[in-house]
Amino acid sequence: MTRDCDAYAVASRDIVFESFDGEAVVLNLANGKYFGFSDSGSTVWQALSSGVDARALIGLNAGGSTLGAAELEHFISQLLELGLLVPSETAAQPLPGELPAELAATSEPLHVSIHDDLADLIIVDPIHEVEEPLGWPAVKQAS
Amino acid sequence: MRLSVIMPVHNRETFVGPALRSLLRQRNAADLDIIVIDDGSTDGSAEMVRSLMAENACIRLFQQPNMGVTRTRNTGLGLLKPETDLVSFLDSDDISPVGRFSADIELFRNDPNLDLTYSRMMLVDKIDDESLEPAADSRSITVRGIHLSAAIFTRRLVERIGVFDEAFHQAEDTDYLLRTFESGPRYVTPETVALYYRRHPGNMTRQTDVQSREFMRAIYKSMTRRKADPTLRRIEGIFELKDLADWQFM
Repeated sequence: MTRDCDAYAVASRDIVFESFDGEAVVLNLANGKYFGFSDSGSTVWQALSSGVDARALIGLNAGGSTLGAAELEHFISQLLELGLLVPSETAAQPLPGELPAELAATSEPLHVSIHDDLADLIIVDPIHEVEEPLGWPAVKQAS
Repeated sequence: MRLSVIMPVHNRETFVGPALRSLLRQRNAADLDIIVIDDGSTDGSAEMVRSLMAENACIRLFQQPNMGVTRTRNTGLGLLKPETDLVSFLDSDDISPVGRFSADIELFRNDPNLDLTYSRMMLVDKIDDESLEPAADSRSITVRGIHLSAAIFTRRLVERIGVFDEAFHQAEDTDYLLRTFESGPRYVTPETVALYYRRHPGNMTRQTDVQSREFMRAIYKSMTRRKADPTLRRIEGIFELKDLADWQFM
């Protein structure tokens, strides 16, 4: 399929992600898997998950070298296979101005690691529903 | 054995009485030391606690300006006396079932090297606050969840784990339990029901952004710790929560 751009979107609402100290953490709430990223992987994940055209990343400095098309393609295919991203038909977002510098500051190659030993916790975290105005521990009233 | 139970309370005047009575009815199970920390309540929580202290010398009440649950739990840890052998927690709106402590404390008596028991919790939608038992028409589910009250820690384990991480506004208990299990304690997972947790099916909606982020941070920190220190243990096969997924849709 020919696409006007090479943009992606987060695959579903079960895929949630945050960044801690510049490190992306992605959880799949449906199967409890945890995805950890290298520093360059974190930055690229943040770009791709926000709809940046992947082609705009090629040739940027990342992880101590230049980001090649093949390396990026391999990384993206992993993210697609893992069910974290899907191709997007919506218009690609522009490359954020600060992103090249952030990517240049990374020292590790693109990498995503998968962990499932906390899957039970991630699938159903049953406890944390505190609503501050109600005080804590929360009163678990029926809705 | 001296068992200290740490109970933070903030504006829970309706529930703190039943919670305390559920502990007091287990006085024969241990040399019980109940540490209640009133975290700046503006309702009658402290008065409710005092009314029970008159006849129960094992309750100690401390009051502090509102600092939030994490720092309040740490206040409780700081109030442990040297003679404490075992430590547990009960939130001020939950109920400790009859026999909960005797069942698990027996395991410590039989195994001096045991560091931790990690038991089950019952989520229940209606508790009779007189009998302190699930109401006859209640619905419930029992899981091995992630809850401080499921645990009884030895004093030496508590010393080893350290304090609750005050950078957490929520999920401090998740972080604490993950650190506990990473440290490789000698533990058992009894079938004891360690608490009745007031909960209604159908309200397990997705968390708010802050809650979700704090939970993810606890998971992230665990992964990061274990990456940096391969001697830390994987946390596998402890929590059994999958049944809850069905309960959400009852």
